[in-house]
Amino acid sequence: MQDQPTAASPDPLKLVLYIAGQTPKSVAAIENLERICANMPGRYVVEVIDLKKTPQLAREHNIVAIPTLVRQLPIPIRKIIGDLSDREKVLVHLKVGE
Amino acid sequence: MAMDALDYGDLSAEELRHRLEEAEETLRAIREGEVDALMVRNPRSEDEVFTLEGGSSYYAFMEAMDLGAAAFDETDRLLYANKALRELLHLPGENVEIAHLSAALDEEARLLVYGLMRDARDAKKTSEIRVLVGNDELHVLVTAAPLHVGGNRGLAVTFTDITAKVRAAAAEASERAAHSIIASANEAVVVCDVNGVVTHANAAVASIYSGNPIGRVFGEVIPLTLPDTTGLLQAGDIIALAIAGTSVQGIEALAPEAPRVRDVLLSAAPLRVGSDKVSGCVITMVDLSQRKAAEKQQLLLMGELDHRVKNTLALVLSICKRTASTEETVSGFQVAFSGRIQALAATHNLLADRSWSSISIAEVVNAELDPFVGSAQARLSVEGLEALVMPRAAIALGLVIHELATNAVKYGALSQESGRVNVTVSKSADEPFLSVDWVESGGPLVQQPTRRGFGQTVITRSLQYSPNGGAQIDYPAEGVRCRIRIPEEDLVRA
Repeated sequence: MQDQPTAASPDPLKLVLYIAGQTPKSVAAIENLERICANMPGRYVVEVIDLKKTPQLAREHNIVAIPTLVRQLPIPIRKIIGDLSDREKVLVHLKVGE
Repeated sequence: MAMDALDYGDLSAEELRHRLEEAEETLRAIREGEVDALMVRNPRSEDEVFTLEGGSSYYAFMEAMDLGAAAFDETDRLLYANKALRELLHLPGENVEIAHLSAALDEEARLLVYGLMRDARDAKKTSEIRVLVGNDELHVLVTAAPLHVGGNRGLAVTFTDITAKVRAAAAEASERAAHSIIASANEAVVVCDVNGVVTHANAAVASIYSGNPIGRVFGEVIPLTLPDTTGLLQAGDIIALAIAGTSVQGIEALAPEAPRVRDVLLSAAPLRVGSDKVSGCVITMVDLSQRKAAEKQQLLLMGELDHRVKNTLALVLSICKRTASTEETVSGFQVAFSGRIQALAATHNLLADRSWSSISIAEVVNAELDPFVGSAQARLSVEGLEALVMPRAAIALGLVIHELATNAVKYGALSQESGRVNVTVSKSADEPFLSVDWVESGGPLVQQPTRRGFGQTVITRSLQYSPNGGAQIDYPAEGVRCRIRIPEEDLVRA
């Protein structure tokens, strides 16, 4: 797990990225998320959960497919399944930049 | 998938729609290859990650399975062959291509596999092929099934080595055949293990041992003695020899405790199943009862034959001597001697045809009169000659009839056209003999012979071996009469 606090915002985002060890899609998802976050305005917190190490944590967000990014806050919860290579799609789902 | 059972009744319509969208999105992502791992619930109800592609666990799983597996794309290009398949067909360790697979199969197997792959585009197909790998012929079950990976269509083909199963089935069939062969054999067949304990016994063994011999030591249930081996070799040694790998054939043995068959011909051979290692022995016991009985009968007959030949030679010698003493010329001797030997031979032939059992008086009389019958048939009448007599009486009767007939032809009733001979058989209950009366009539006047010839000696003495037997010849002027008495102990009751 790793925390990645960044720039300030009154309504911070809380993101959880579920991965499965070093599978290609998991590695790609981390890299893509890092790139998206680098240019993302506002405050956000990212938590990365490796389900290979802690599979029991998949229950909290009913994770079925990996990788999956969960927008935990603000509610309602949103899920983005895949390696996050479609930047626009990711930003739309996170409602960032509106 | 690792979803908890949810009480969907508690969820709002909006929440349900959201969940449905999420499920559809998950399926889409899987279908389009956007994910490479899934959460699955293992048999212990624990969540674990299942990697779909490129990951080490999926590959390791394919490599570790002992089933040969191969994946082909839509154009029949070989994408992957796992370790089990590479080892099974001796394919190269890496960069395996379809050409390698083709080379590993012979023409027939190749056609079968490619036909299977062609037919399996829509539904799973299975077929069995034979593959020659090194010097071994393998039986392989090939199953091809359609494979959909993302938007791609391909084929998953598995190769299962069923050689052991096929061989086991063949071995089982062969064992069943062996069992039925043993069971159908007429001879008693017993199979023992290396300790001499009976493992199989067929139905014919029941004639040698009445109980169930399975599981018991052969030598204890069927004790055998070998009368022809002077005690040096015993039944146990033969079994031990067979178990040690040496066949022993055709030894006569006696089973003193056997319920029915006691004389057997014993053979024992090592039992080799599969390998060269001896795993026991097969013992066969052929019923010798009939052969033994036949041998006894043969011995008896040979003794009897010896006895008869000696008797016959003594008789011939005696005929020769007495004929010589009564005949004055060599030609006279020759005629008389030949006639008598032929008379003896005629009865012998009859007896030989009947295996030296009883024959009827009619047969003896007919055989002896046969040389004279041509001219005398009309003048000969016979009555009641059906009675059966034993060989010694038959021989004596034959000689007597011969002498009477010769005499009748030379001097008596059969020397003239008007003469008649009547032969009658009668038996009185109070007399210990059967009478055969020879009565001549219509011939020249009979005169009492002035000297006693051999014929007369034969007639009176031939049946005197028993106090009840004998013959009385009289010479009344109207014709010779002779009453032959056949002792009742030589009569055979019908």
